[in-house]
Amino acid sequence: MPSKPDTALLIVGHGSTENPDSSTPYFDHADEIRSRGVFSEVHCCFWKEEPSMREARYMIDADEVYVVPDFISEGYFTQEIIPRELGLDGPTTEHHGKTWHYTLPVGVHSSMTGLLLRRAKDVAPDVDPSEITLFIVGHGTGLNQNSTKAIRDQAEAIKASGAGYAEVLDAYMEEQPFIADWDKLSKTDHVVVVPFFIADGLHSYQDIPVLLGFEKDEGEAASQREVFRNNPYHLRGKTLYYSSAIGTERHMADVILDQVADFDSKHLS
Amino acid sequence: MIAERLQQALDRGINRIGELIILRDVADSAFALCHIDDKDRLDELEIHRGAGAARDLSTWAEDGHYRFTKGELSLKKGWMLLLTDLNELRQALDLFYPAALGVWIAQEDGTLEVQHLRDKLGRQTGMYKFAKGISDAGAQRLVREVCGPGNCCVKKILWQLDADTPLEDSEASRFDGTLGEPARSIPLLCREACNHFVAECRKASKAEFEAAGAAKG
Ligand code: SF4
Repeated sequence: MPSKPDTALLIVGHGSTENPDSSTPYFDHADEIRSRGVFSEVHCCFWKEEPSMREARYMIDADEVYVVPDFISEGYFTQEIIPRELGLDGPTTEHHGKTWHYTLPVGVHSSMTGLLLRRAKDVAPDVDPSEITLFIVGHGTGLNQNSTKAIRDQAEAIKASGAGYAEVLDAYMEEQPFIADWDKLSKTDHVVVVPFFIADGLHSYQDIPVLLGFEKDEGEAASQREVFRNNPYHLRGKTLYYSSAIGTERHMADVILDQVADFDSKHLS
Repeated sequence: MIAERLQQALDRGINRIGELIILRDVADSAFALCHIDDKDRLDELEIHRGAGAARDLSTWAEDGHYRFTKGELSLKKGWMLLLTDLNELRQALDLFYPAALGVWIAQEDGTLEVQHLRDKLGRQTGMYKFAKGISDAGAQRLVREVCGPGNCCVKKILWQLDADTPLEDSEASRFDGTLGEPARSIPLLCREACNHFVAECRKASKAEFEAAGAAKG
């Protein structure tokens, strides 16, 4: 991506008051992009952590700012909260003496497909894809149909990619098809599960492992990152490989830059 | 430019922000940061390098709890962070005290927009929507019980309950955002109530609601 010398990148995340791991990927993505020297400044801001979205502008020198929601799908946060908090009213807004460009969330970019494939390969490097059922897992609540759509789209894109997986399925914590039924949903002996979330947190440390059946539903998520290190899990007569949240992938930085490039070609050319 | 304003402040002798002290020309580095309480034992400190390390150093308190409110008076001791240039210093400060430098500069320039508590509470989502039910008296009490150094927060409160309702006088509402030597300090400014305060408002609002229900019988 060509360099943007007098331009800032602002990565927006949700953040958490409980668990610092939930903002770690955002800072990692910012570090990675900073090291590439594309923007004159790279900052993060959050809904539940500091700096808040409303404070973010005080950190920025540049007159032009790309705002990239580091979110998995479009929805309440990307369509209402972020525009409201930053005072954005369209793709480009002049506000507070700066020009703000608002891109689509990272999760809906087509280059996420490559990331998912890479992660699936990394987590089960020695198994041929033709023997694997790959699950992409989301929360699913009915509240945000876009998030299930984003996941379904990715599953379709992986199927169409020719990566050769026996099956690629979308599944959810709280709606049909339930990830808890992974053993019944999959026809193969080998199963790879990739959570489609930006950050690791309770969902990936504990909730999904409980639904998959290799963690107990009690106490705090003491095992934390250990859950990803104990691969593979042998249970319910199958071999299960479990990955950390897709957003923790270092190459998410590329997806952020891809989203900026897409914005330019769609709105600024 | 924020980095230039930081340089000017350093040249005026400013060298403190929150619990940090800013040192110049330490070892092979242009700048270094350490805890104020460590400034007389620099030789004993564990050395870290680069702005990125600021996040790890500021994430956990000594007793292991997560410092999600960065103005919390609980910064770990025993380390020194070496920084090669002004930009790295600025970045590190933004990790220790997010946006504090820029907010202070805007305050000095008279361009800072403060967000009053009612506005902040009115914008909450999900379960935090209940926070806005808190009474004025309840909110005033929470300022005394949650904010200020007596409650482990190093920020000077700029907001009011709303544009017409200032905070009642208390140690917390009077606090100036510095830990000694105000003339040599960049004050930490609270321009909007933090999420910790919002969470306390939610609890207090629920308690008020339940107490009112109980009184009605
Ligand atoms: S609301 Fe109170 S506790 Fe929270 S940062 Fe501001 S002054 Fe500190």
